[in-house]
Amino acid sequence: MIIVEDVYFSYEGLPVLKGVTLTVRTGEVLAIMGENGAGKTTLIKHFIGLLKPERGRVLVFGVDTREASVAQLARHVGVVFQNPDHQLFAESVEEEVLFTLKNMGYLPDEARAVCERVLRLFELDRYRDKSPYSLSVGERKRLAIAAVVSYDPDVLVLDEPTAGQDFFNKSKISKLIFRLKRQGKGVVVVTHDVEFAAQVADRVALMVDGRIVREGPAEDVLTDPAALRQARLIMPQIPTVAALLEAGGLKLPRKPLLPGALYLELLDLLNHRWRNHEQGSRHL
Amino acid sequence: MSRVLDIFRFRRKNTPLHALDPRAKFALLVALSAASLALSDAVSLSALLVVEAALLAIARSLREWARSLTGLSTLLILIFVLNFLTLPTGRLFTAAAMTLRFLCLTTAFSIFFLTTTADELAAALEASGVPREYSMMFTMSLRFVPSLARDLQTVADALKSRGLELEKGNLKERLRNYTYLLVPLIVYELRRSIMVAEALEARGFGATRKVEPYVELTLRARDYAVIAASALATCAVAWAIASGIYGALVDHVRVFFPKL
Amino acid sequence: MALVELKRVSFRYAGSDRHALDNVTLSAEQGEFVLLVGPSGCGKSTLLRVLNGLIPHFYEGDFEGEARVAGLDVRSTPTHVLARHVGMVFQDPENQLFLSSVEREIAFGLENMGLPRAEVKRRVREVLKEFNLESIKDRAPYELSGGQQQKVAIASVMALEPEILAIDEPTANLDPLSALEILSLVKRLVDEKGVLAIVVEHRLELTLMFATRMVVMHNGRILADGAPREALLRSGSLVGYPPVTLAHLLLKRKGLIDNGVPLTSEELASMVIRKWAK
Repeated sequence: MIIVEDVYFSYEGLPVLKGVTLTVRTGEVLAIMGENGAGKTTLIKHFIGLLKPERGRVLVFGVDTREASVAQLARHVGVVFQNPDHQLFAESVEEEVLFTLKNMGYLPDEARAVCERVLRLFELDRYRDKSPYSLSVGERKRLAIAAVVSYDPDVLVLDEPTAGQDFFNKSKISKLIFRLKRQGKGVVVVTHDVEFAAQVADRVALMVDGRIVREGPAEDVLTDPAALRQARLIMPQIPTVAALLEAGGLKLPRKPLLPGALYLELLDLLNHRWRNHEQGSRHL
Repeated sequence: MSRVLDIFRFRRKNTPLHALDPRAKFALLVALSAASLALSDAVSLSALLVVEAALLAIARSLREWARSLTGLSTLLILIFVLNFLTLPTGRLFTAAAMTLRFLCLTTAFSIFFLTTTADELAAALEASGVPREYSMMFTMSLRFVPSLARDLQTVADALKSRGLELEKGNLKERLRNYTYLLVPLIVYELRRSIMVAEALEARGFGATRKVEPYVELTLRARDYAVIAASALATCAVAWAIASGIYGALVDHVRVFFPKL
Repeated sequence: MALVELKRVSFRYAGSDRHALDNVTLSAEQGEFVLLVGPSGCGKSTLLRVLNGLIPHFYEGDFEGEARVAGLDVRSTPTHVLARHVGMVFQDPENQLFLSSVEREIAFGLENMGLPRAEVKRRVREVLKEFNLESIKDRAPYELSGGQQQKVAIASVMALEPEILAIDEPTANLDPLSALEILSLVKRLVDEKGVLAIVVEHRLELTLMFATRMVVMHNGRILADGAPREALLRSGSLVGYPPVTLAHLLLKRKGLIDNGVPLTSEELASMVIRKWAK
């Protein structure tokens, strides 16, 4: 896991991180959310030592980031940045994955086998000999993620994975995140897409002006209107419905984040009512 | 690296130097640069540096300049040492002179860029008859320099997070590693240039040949004064060198420092 | 004649073997807020670029069909003329702001039109006031937040007083609150000035509530074109349903709620309360 202990960081004299404490666990999906400029990207750069804290420290699986190189830390933590065009280095799709595997110490035979598996998993095998830049935007994003996932890091960090993506690609990305979680990996998603966070996140950390102002289970944080407002986010649609229903006299037993959950809650409520009604009418 | 580029970045301030017409500032730049290149002894170059420092003080930009000197220091030391080691006679004197010359030249440019916006520069170019396409080309190159610097950093970060150690290995390995930066960067900037071109078209760029620029540049008395003074100074230096007076002065000074 | 009139328009980019636009017929009038949606590669960005002539003038290729915008034939009218009628705002705020201050940026389009300086200054003052940008008029665009940048971009094209505002994924790089601000701004321009807004977007849960019409594209063709609710019902599996619409579908399948297509939380909540509150 990644432990961030009271980290302070400034850029060109301006404080960007002002005492951030956070834990990233494997087997769990954490969403780091907040408006642009809150410090989210700066924070995730600390996870692999691209930036080192001025005060405080970051431990990645027990190793202090100031005492390891980025490449060493990257073996445990894979980071996919927001724009795929910044991260495609090879002449062909296949080469792109092999390039990463080689850097991470895979032997040629292993690398080729892993590459094959990964390309098929991400539905990129038919493009294997094409230039990465000939792919569509969504495919380039998949390739960037594929290259990082290929060497099997323990934690995957995705920076704004759904920005500008269409419905299909968003579904593919959420499916990937669920698969990684089932495999016991940790996933960190930096996003301001509250609906996406509602779909995939187990825990949510809200960042405002270089600090984490709220951190906890997704169903607690994404249903907290004051905290969301402070982070310049809007409440996802389903919790908003739940809040409106409660104001209108219909209180739901649990806090739903997704359409399916809302449906089940209302079903529960209906059954409960029907049962009460039955019991009530029996007493008459 | 970004520290060094700081001396060329404009800072908005209210000083007599900032308020000058960009053409006057350009004249000043020409005069200072000419002097830096023409003079070749440490004493007069030091005097020139003092003049430049005074100008920086007027522009209230001494701190920015001093801060970036630390970034330049490696280059300055390199120049000094190279000259010192490769010259047969008068080493200390000439090495100091060469170092000072470099410093004077960069400071002259820094004075200009610290006090002139890219816009003003473009307006000055247009007022001097340069076609709008060229002055825009120039403005945009400047405007996107910070973006380019940021993209370079992002690509380097992405490379490092793929396990490539950019700083390790011998010179050949490191050079090869740095070439990995080129492809994504070039592709990204090419894409960006297409986006910018689209946006320019969408804003009607090229609709008319004769465009009345928004920024009105008028030369006032003090601008003329600066331009005149710069022209005079340049002529004075040129004359001093051509007539041999400068050479004589240098020899005169050398008498006091024969060992160097 | 309609403000935008596309008749059987097909376009194939030079060097490509598939049609980016395939027999597209579309017309739109002033005062509409048209949402243009579809999966990546469906042709929506291409369609947008036909409006101001970037296609076929900037992008080479095979263009067929008739395209008239504000009465002008797109094929024979250069982009800088069409730019007076179509203000185009792009997805990446950074790459459409070229100059070193907001004020200059707004003046840029007006300068290009060859207007005299006094007129330009007057219009710039008006635009700064209308869009509430006076307090940041001297700031450099790259010093601004993404939301502010998009606002400046919109103000800069609106300075030319176009009848049509064409916007390519304005919220892609914005946080939700900034996104809502921008969309509200566009809606205001549609309602108050009768501008025809054509907005390409993916984030339906944010944008659907502002639209008066939704056009869905797939593989270069128009799949659905009409009122947002109807168009959404027909294409939801392709473009994704907003969470409340999905919740409604689940409830409707069990007969637990009336017909309708809620687009906002308020709409779904009132539908549920109406049905269930005793």
